[in-house]
Amino acid sequence: MRRRAKRDLTVEQQLARGPIDLPFLALVLLLTIIGLVMLLSASYASAYYDIEGETGGNPYYYFLRQLTFAVIGLVAMFAVTKIDYQWLRLLSMPAIFASVVLLVLVLTPLGRSGGGAQRWLNLGIRFQPLEVAKVSIIMFFAARLSKRNDQLKGPPKKWNRRSLTGRVGAFLERIGFLELVPYGAILLLVLFLLYQQPHMSGMILVLLSAAAVLFASGIGLYWFVGAVVLSGGALWFLITQTEYMTARINVWLDPLSDLQHGGYQLWQSQIAIGSGGLLGVGLGNSRQKYMFLPEEHNDFIFAIVCEELGLVGACLIIALFALLIIRGFWLALHARDRFGTLLIVGLTALTAAQVLLNLGVVTGALPTTGISLPFFSYGGTALVVQLASMGVVMGVSRQIVAPKAE
Amino acid sequence: MRKKAPEPSRPSGKNNRSLFRRTIVLMVLLGVAFFLPMVAQLWKLQITQHDYWQQRAANQQTMDVEVDSGRGTIYDSQGEVLAISATTYNLILSPADLTRNVDALAESSDRLQDEDGRTDPEKVQALLDETRQNVAQFLAGLLDQDEVRFLTRLERTDSYYEQLATYLEEDVAEQVREFIAGYSEQTGWNVGMSSILYLVETAQRYYPQSSTASHILGFISENEDSGGKRVGAQGLEAAYQDLLSGTSGLVVTGRTALGSELLTSYEEYFDGQNGYDLHLTIDANIQAMAEQTLAEGIETYDVQNGGFCLVMDPSTGAILAMASSPDFDPNDYDAIITQSLQEQLDAVAAQYGADSEEYAQAWRAAYNSQLLNKAVSFTYEPGSVFKPLTVAIALEEGIIDPDDHYYCGGSKVVGDRTIGCHNRNGHGDQTVTQALENSCNVALMDIGEQIGAELMWQYFEDYGLKDITGIDLAGEEDSIFWEEDTFKGPYGAQSVAVASFGQTFRITPIQMIRSFASVINGGHLLTPYLVQSVTDEDGNTVYYHETQEVRQVISETTSATIRGMLESVVSNGSGHNAYMAGYRIAGKTGTSEKIDEDSGDVICSFMGFAPVDNPQVLVLLAYDSPRRSAPGSNYTASGTYISGGNITAPMAGQLIADILDYLDVEKQYTTEELAGSDTAMIQVTGNELTRAITRLQDQGLNARTVGTGNTVTAQVPAAGVVIPGGSTVILYLGDQVPEEQVEVPNVSGMSPTRAKEALENIGLFLRSTGAASYQDAGVEAISQSIQAGSMVAPGTVVEVQFASTVIDYAVQNA
Repeated sequence: MRRRAKRDLTVEQQLARGPIDLPFLALVLLLTIIGLVMLLSASYASAYYDIEGETGGNPYYYFLRQLTFAVIGLVAMFAVTKIDYQWLRLLSMPAIFASVVLLVLVLTPLGRSGGGAQRWLNLGIRFQPLEVAKVSIIMFFAARLSKRNDQLKGPPKKWNRRSLTGRVGAFLERIGFLELVPYGAILLLVLFLLYQQPHMSGMILVLLSAAAVLFASGIGLYWFVGAVVLSGGALWFLITQTEYMTARINVWLDPLSDLQHGGYQLWQSQIAIGSGGLLGVGLGNSRQKYMFLPEEHNDFIFAIVCEELGLVGACLIIALFALLIIRGFWLALHARDRFGTLLIVGLTALTAAQVLLNLGVVTGALPTTGISLPFFSYGGTALVVQLASMGVVMGVSRQIVAPKAE
Repeated sequence: MRKKAPEPSRPSGKNNRSLFRRTIVLMVLLGVAFFLPMVAQLWKLQITQHDYWQQRAANQQTMDVEVDSGRGTIYDSQGEVLAISATTYNLILSPADLTRNVDALAESSDRLQDEDGRTDPEKVQALLDETRQNVAQFLAGLLDQDEVRFLTRLERTDSYYEQLATYLEEDVAEQVREFIAGYSEQTGWNVGMSSILYLVETAQRYYPQSSTASHILGFISENEDSGGKRVGAQGLEAAYQDLLSGTSGLVVTGRTALGSELLTSYEEYFDGQNGYDLHLTIDANIQAMAEQTLAEGIETYDVQNGGFCLVMDPSTGAILAMASSPDFDPNDYDAIITQSLQEQLDAVAAQYGADSEEYAQAWRAAYNSQLLNKAVSFTYEPGSVFKPLTVAIALEEGIIDPDDHYYCGGSKVVGDRTIGCHNRNGHGDQTVTQALENSCNVALMDIGEQIGAELMWQYFEDYGLKDITGIDLAGEEDSIFWEEDTFKGPYGAQSVAVASFGQTFRITPIQMIRSFASVINGGHLLTPYLVQSVTDEDGNTVYYHETQEVRQVISETTSATIRGMLESVVSNGSGHNAYMAGYRIAGKTGTSEKIDEDSGDVICSFMGFAPVDNPQVLVLLAYDSPRRSAPGSNYTASGTYISGGNITAPMAGQLIADILDYLDVEKQYTTEELAGSDTAMIQVTGNELTRAITRLQDQGLNARTVGTGNTVTAQVPAAGVVIPGGSTVILYLGDQVPEEQVEVPNVSGMSPTRAKEALENIGLFLRSTGAASYQDAGVEAISQSIQAGSMVAPGTVVEVQFASTVIDYAVQNA
């Protein structure tokens, strides 16, 4: 296909060829590179000493694999920016359908388990369907919610006010319940499937990013208040009434009380962070990575960052994340249409939720749950999906109408 | 090809504002607000609590490896090394590194790969086996152990640390280094042997004089609190542990959670302080003499429970020698080195088996007995050796006069008990000096009665007998006395009576010698000590022992009187077997009964010093329980009457003489002694006979002639040979010539006169030592310097020691 001249394109097509938002791109690349460097540092020791295991004592094992996926991810990211994001509206329905299928497949013998949960699918490559599901839900929600205005403009459905069902229907219509039914149904279905794995942190992420999209799209605030009250109550119930959660909270409050179940991890993480001090022990000089801190190249990689780079380095990286998120929302504010806005809000909120939850867990500000740090934690599909979703954001940024020259 | 993208929805006004506002809310919450608590949390951990976490991190991440500080050296008074630390090596094997290195080699070496360049597991395994075999073979040869043992350890592939041997000497270590260095060249495989097999430095303690002064030095060993380090366990090693050990250095190394060392980086060194050196008052030569004397006596008289020997400089309290038997070798302190103990053990082993409980018990008993330093950790009843102390009290307090007379009728009735003298017929009328010469119990009981319990008790304390002496050795035993009330009470008279001749209370040998020293040195009770000075590694003196006087016990005058009396004891009395011409030895014998044992065994001791006017050495020598020839017999199997005067005095006299010779103390002869003093033979060959005889007489020598003629043609001995004065030399006349060799006769049991005749008849000369000049029919030869039957040249001087039987039992109950 020969590249066509700009004048032959429609306005939309012309817009789709606009410039990628450079600050956002720079932040993504910066985080990816820093993430790779830190992964190399964090994983070096455990890879080196794991002679019997998958690394075979090759200290670069994790790094090289992650590097491969980073390259794939970056290629995917740029490819995605080339796509006119309006196509994603069409793609969102099949995507959500495929996600559900995959999530069901995980629970079949095709799924692979690890760490007490069945989360992976092995279809040639091994990946977590959750990664696909998270983005699909955001796409679907954004696509459907962006059309709220149009729906409202149409003639409202006539409810038969004489029948009970009619009156209830009218009431539900008025408070916006009916509008929420499809979202709720899909959300519940996905959450149920994740619960089956089980995947607590996955559920939280899906819930939070979906909530962000719903919130931005203008759903009545009382629904959120209700949801917060409800989930708060449920949480309180879980914490106080189930032994499993009580134990988990106790471990969080006093890591040394139960070193067997997560307490050790948190304790070692705090040692890593605390011993880093203001300036850190220096890049590559972490001592905690020598098998003291479990998951040091995964969920707890940020503890190694804090140890090696100190408060200064950690805050710089936090600042990069914050800037990425702020820039993401800034792009959302300037997006060409509601769909673009909601898409970015969803994806940025997802990234933000992962970063914040991960930092919270690693620093001990939140109870331990398995959430990886975007761009940093080891994990091929997660990185590819993360970069690809950043590509989506950048794709939206291409179509931002440039401010008119004065 | 044109594709129509889906129609974007145009946001409308009201909803747009809501979208805008809510997105900004999200932006502020997710992009700023929620990060703040995270940063706050980081601040708390990294800044506020940094020190706490830093400490936790250091605790788990570092491995503290102590670097032994060099333990100080122990020298004797002459600078001879008695204990020294040297570097030795522990040999460590890391089987995990072997597999690791071979695997790494397989990646790079095509010799371990097949044609397709893939690693060939069979070849790798073969190399692994071959290397293991080589290493095991080398180790088996090096350490003289079975190869299989090393193969087993080599196959522990997950182990990084297998300690194969400890305390290897430098020469063995060198072999290991050569093996490691030459391995790849020899086998053609560079398997990185230096990380598989390596040496770790450690320190070993050596005692070059082996068992000499073993009880003084002690030894080092690990204990529960020493944390795997070897610390002083006995003797000076224990008493001066802190000074000797110094402070160990520290190497802090990073470690992994799995425990292995991070050799790549992160090492910190903290220098230690090497231990100080000790310079003892002990003279290794005098110590050896003391031990030798002890050993000889034990052997000669078949002494069952060993003995002890203390040599002290009475004017300072410095211990010149301290021997205790049985002893041990600090280099190998749990080996039983005393033959008699080993024989007993063998007997137990033969009866019960070497792994029986009985054997283990017997072994422990033998082990403990050889570790026991009798000089400080053993109490005994001093017996007659104590008598001078009683006399000193009475003299000092003006209770008696040296010229006072005492009558001994053979026993004395004290309260309801008759206490006998060893001479049941009684010593008759005696002066105080004679009472000491006779070692008369009755006279001493009379003196004790005059002194009284109150004063006697006071002097026990003044003599330092109720306190430990404070010698710088651990494990000093306390004395055992009566209750003060009992002793001073209405029924104490018997206690005072027996105490006056040294029975029924128990003191340590070091207490005995210290109090005795105060009696003869002018009354000064001194603190005995072993360490003269302490120096640091650069030779700077950090401590020097000044003589420590505890108190003045008796006056200089009383002390001088006692010294005179005690010289008389040796020259005229029960101590005469310790007599050595020219040395002016004074002393007191003692035969202590073991009242608390039914065995009837005795401790035969002698306390002697010389020269009498200015004592240089004070010796306490004792043999515990010489074996009786038959139960109830008073003689040893060799026919010696069992008493301090017969068994110990001759040994002690010889020892004192040897020590004075060694110390180059000038001899002082009396006129009679001078007659027997040595003279050099002059050249008379060629002289006319009468002239020769006159010349010889001028030299104090007699002559006899062999053959006929007027001119001396040969002489025995040759000119210049030193022989005792009064000896009869042989002058050959005419064509008579001296014999080439003569056989030394056995003079054992002969009187001095007969022995002199027997030797001179065949052209040998007698130098008599011991009690030869003592006017007593019982004096007989007890030993000779050249064994009977040896062939020697005519003119050789044979030294013969004489002694006579002394009966000086402290207690002889009627």
